[in-house]
Amino acid sequence: MENMQAVNSFVTAYLKKKGFKEAEQLLEDLQKKESAPIDFHNDPDLAKLIHHFSQSEDDVARYQDGYSKLRSWTYSSLDLYKHELLRVLYPVFIHSFMDLVAKGHLQEARTFFNAFHEDHELMHSRDLQKLEGVLSQSHLEEMEFARSLRQNKVNIKICQYSYGLLLQYLHKTQSTAMLGVINEHINFQVTSGQPGSISDDTEVVTLIGSCQDAASLINQKEIHWGLLEDSLEERLEKEGGLLSDSEKAEAENKEGDVDDSKKRSVEGGKQGASTKKLKKDKAVNATAKSARPEAKPTPAAPRVKPELTLPVMSTEVEQSILEDLRNRVQLSSIALPSVSFYTFLNTHNGLNCSSVSQDGSLVAGGFSDSSLKVWDMAKLGQQAGSSTLQGENDSTSSEHVAGPNGVKRSYTLFQGHSGPVYSATFSPLGDFILSSSADTTIRLWSTKLNANLVCYKGHNYPVWDVQFSPVGHYFASSSHDRTARIWSMDRIQPLRIMAGHLSDVDCVQWHANCNYIATGSSDRTVRLWDVQSGECVRIFIGHRSMILSLAMSPDGRYMASGDEDGTIMMWDLSSGRCVTPLMGHTSCVWSLAFSCEGTVLASGSADCTVKLWDVTTSTKAPKNEEKSGNPNRLRSLKTLATKSSPVYSLRFSRRNLLFAAGVLSKKY
Amino acid sequence: MSIVPKETIEVIAQSIGINNLSDDAALSLAPDVEYRMREIMQEAIKCMRHSRRTILTTDDVDGALNLRNVEPVYGFTSGGPLQFKRAIGHRDLFYVDDRDVDLKDVIEAPLPKAPLDTGVVCHWLAIEGVQPAIPENAPVGAIAAPSNGTTYEQKEELPVDIKLPVKHVLSRELQLYFDKITELTLRKSDSTLFKEALVSLATDSGLHPLVPYFTYFISDEVSRGLNDYSLLFALMRVVWSLLQNPHIHIEPYLHQLMPSVVTCLVSKKLGNRIADNHWELRDFTAKLVASICKRFGHVYNTLQTRLTKTLLNALLDPKRALTQHYGAVQGLAALGPNVRLLILPNLEPYLRLLEPELLLEKQKNEMKRYEAWRIYGVLLRAAGQSIFERLKIFPPLPSTPAHAIWKSKEKVVTAAPNKRKASTEPMEHEPALKKIATDGPTTVSANSSPSPMQVETVTTLASPGKYEAGQPSSSEKMPNRVGKDGKVLKKSAILNQIWKDDLNSGRTLVTVFELFGESILSFIPSPEMSLFI
Repeated sequence: MENMQAVNSFVTAYLKKKGFKEAEQLLEDLQKKESAPIDFHNDPDLAKLIHHFSQSEDDVARYQDGYSKLRSWTYSSLDLYKHELLRVLYPVFIHSFMDLVAKGHLQEARTFFNAFHEDHELMHSRDLQKLEGVLSQSHLEEMEFARSLRQNKVNIKICQYSYGLLLQYLHKTQSTAMLGVINEHINFQVTSGQPGSISDDTEVVTLIGSCQDAASLINQKEIHWGLLEDSLEERLEKEGGLLSDSEKAEAENKEGDVDDSKKRSVEGGKQGASTKKLKKDKAVNATAKSARPEAKPTPAAPRVKPELTLPVMSTEVEQSILEDLRNRVQLSSIALPSVSFYTFLNTHNGLNCSSVSQDGSLVAGGFSDSSLKVWDMAKLGQQAGSSTLQGENDSTSSEHVAGPNGVKRSYTLFQGHSGPVYSATFSPLGDFILSSSADTTIRLWSTKLNANLVCYKGHNYPVWDVQFSPVGHYFASSSHDRTARIWSMDRIQPLRIMAGHLSDVDCVQWHANCNYIATGSSDRTVRLWDVQSGECVRIFIGHRSMILSLAMSPDGRYMASGDEDGTIMMWDLSSGRCVTPLMGHTSCVWSLAFSCEGTVLASGSADCTVKLWDVTTSTKAPKNEEKSGNPNRLRSLKTLATKSSPVYSLRFSRRNLLFAAGVLSKKY
Repeated sequence: MSIVPKETIEVIAQSIGINNLSDDAALSLAPDVEYRMREIMQEAIKCMRHSRRTILTTDDVDGALNLRNVEPVYGFTSGGPLQFKRAIGHRDLFYVDDRDVDLKDVIEAPLPKAPLDTGVVCHWLAIEGVQPAIPENAPVGAIAAPSNGTTYEQKEELPVDIKLPVKHVLSRELQLYFDKITELTLRKSDSTLFKEALVSLATDSGLHPLVPYFTYFISDEVSRGLNDYSLLFALMRVVWSLLQNPHIHIEPYLHQLMPSVVTCLVSKKLGNRIADNHWELRDFTAKLVASICKRFGHVYNTLQTRLTKTLLNALLDPKRALTQHYGAVQGLAALGPNVRLLILPNLEPYLRLLEPELLLEKQKNEMKRYEAWRIYGVLLRAAGQSIFERLKIFPPLPSTPAHAIWKSKEKVVTAAPNKRKASTEPMEHEPALKKIATDGPTTVSANSSPSPMQVETVTTLASPGKYEAGQPSSSEKMPNRVGKDGKVLKKSAILNQIWKDDLNSGRTLVTVFELFGESILSFIPSPEMSLFI
């Protein structure tokens, strides 16, 4: 003990000599408390550290200090490494904030938040809005977003030198609070060589619930994005040039149909067995994809067999489709489509969604007063534009229903829902309509009988979106209950439930080959699901706000998604990577549509424009690829402004006429 | 700490009958209230997005409450967004303006009109990528401008687009329209069809692509058809209609249009027949020029000065023809008060020049004399109007002694009402002026002998010296003179008053009065007049 005393006095003297008053004071305190002996072999910095720790409990301000110092250091760091270091700031900021909340320093947490949240407003405004509401420990538990943030580490790719800089800084300044936060919540992936480019940011931008690794693992699963075998388009291509004479064509088609139906019946029998013999299109691993597959000119899309039993088409329908395909206008960056615009008038702010049938003859609108209204454009008389297409759909005949006062209405009124109708979709032949509503149900209506046929109950919360599959019969729905479901028309129970999104599933879209569906969610991810297994096969991360619209390219390789901010992203399904973000819209992108050959993408937005984008990545445009040199080149071709009508829905007909629908809205 | 202070919680508690809510309870409730509010807003925004709207309404909030199994808040449903008003004295306190409505009024009120039923109309937004210029489409902006922004934004990643020269495609419909209009202008400008064409030019939304063609057409025809009065008038009416059209941007083409317009104003000879009323054309064009300056003066600040210079040069050059002088004066007068003041300094020498032309004895050529009278009329009008403007800006100066005195003489004022009538109502002023400006000349041409007005002018021109002597004298002496010559005295009294009010403008008025005699008096606005009286 005496020895101890001697040591203490020696240390005290040393500290005095060196001028470490605080440390000296601390040491004295410790001596008084008869605390454990200190490791006096360490340099006096330790004392300083201990000093910090001794105060830590009440000194919440060190979070603020530490963060503000780290921030100013980052901002004054070298330009080359700055953007990498800036990425570290955001996780440190939100976790510091949540630490403060968790420790019960609510007032300080709020001041901390207010002081620094503006830095991140640009990139993460929606996350911040959510976090701003976190005001007690229980909220941290309750809120899914906060919980997932706390549970998972953030992966940050950083180059060797930046990492060194950061560590050096943290050690030098003794900012233990920051060090703690960084150790606890950030997982650095240090790479040798040059710092990454700014555009790689996207991966870090969204802090998703499941960790990044899981996502990239999922994205390595193989998917078969090829088109269906034996599709009508394929047959048309084969027959191609031979068919100058239309009669001859018909004859051949008939033969083809006989073959086809035979084949189908066989297929149906050994569905299970045939799946093994699929032409497999190996998904490209994320690691081995330095050379992008689309860089080399690819042959026509590979063909896959359907995993679902597909409905059989009648011969007449097939005839009419083939006729359409033959008459299709070839679109490209120089040959832009004609656009027919349907304007809803006098909706009194009640129109929630609209849909146009394949041939443009029927237009449906879902209203917030629970009604679904269908207009038959042929009956309206003045529709010179669509009347030419009337031949495709002459069998449909909805009576003009007399209103209660005997006044003739121009539309067919479908009543049955008990909540706002959020989505409506026509079957490919236009004989059925599906509508989804806030009353949690989906209803199937017949446009021939003008009656409700089935009410599908299964979702527990409002159903945001419903989409018919490209072949009809099957449909997919998405809901506030965070699931997407697959249904068939003949069963009132869902066939598959896709669960996994962390927030509302806002939109759903079928893949061209019907084997997959894509869902967009408020958790700012798009997922791709296998219809047969119900598994998630891709997660697309990159959007910065709620996803509102999805479209699949007809060749099955690409997907476009549009979000609340007006950003459209083009995804490569096989790699799960974003091909290009398409900037241009200034408000919500309500609708997206690919032209039939996939050369043009149309987007409709709340900013009252329809934009046409050049999608030269299509396999059918090898010329363009050679010319531009960059196959991933996407650019805006044309902006078509409407007269103060936000564009609610878009659809390309089989002949490549673009239908757009919107509501004439007054400006406030 | 939270945006909901604990006082709010306490107030809410009291409102539902809990009077003794402890501080701690309020403190811990406050953050939770905020959290729940944010949660509801988050859900409400989802509902809004799925209703394809960008403005949050009460329905969305009700929908969000429904999602959370909470009873919606009743009584706030409305078709549109709520109108908030700022509470007086608070910077960030707002409330919904909710008026008390008497139930009886609601019951007794006639049934409102049934709202229009929803409908769908169809039009071509684009035909093969080109937007047709129909009223259903948004008006086309400047040609080839829109694609700029997007390509610029993507520049960082993409190779730079080389822009080919813009090819200006004119649709077949527009070509037909243009041909039809030009034919009407050239051949049948007096038909009713032409009038309708002018209306169409002034209102149709899709004409912007045609503007360059029209400007070329107009300048071409004006330079060729200076002898064709009706054509020129028709062309000017086309210009007028184009200017009226709110959907087209004519600014970039103004520099091409202006020379032809100014030509129609100050050309030496417009039309080749005597019957051609080129005066009317000049008047119309002057109005046109004025409206152009008014609309685009702020965009092209040199426009007005250049125009003024041209016109003034034309006026001050004694070698120019009288018709040119007429046009210049008319143009200057139409350009506005500031410009009109430019005429006044030159008035006296000019009138001296003009005088021999006016008199029958000196100018034997009837045509020339008529022209001179025209100019005289328009000068009178311009000067009068500038005086009128000048007087209008005077602050009303109630000089009590004068007031009292003039009140007693009200009879005198009513004794000469017909002159005053023209100016009693400022609104009626304009037509009255016109009448005066055209009256004189028409009487001259009708009689082709010295008109009474001419005589009057001569006499008054001779007389001012007499009255001038009396002007500096104080207004107290005035009543004595009233008896002798009420009318003249009144005039000089007014001048006197103005003299006192504002030496400068008074002097101007005196000069003008000297030059024109009493006919100028009708331009003095009635408020001022009554003030002096």
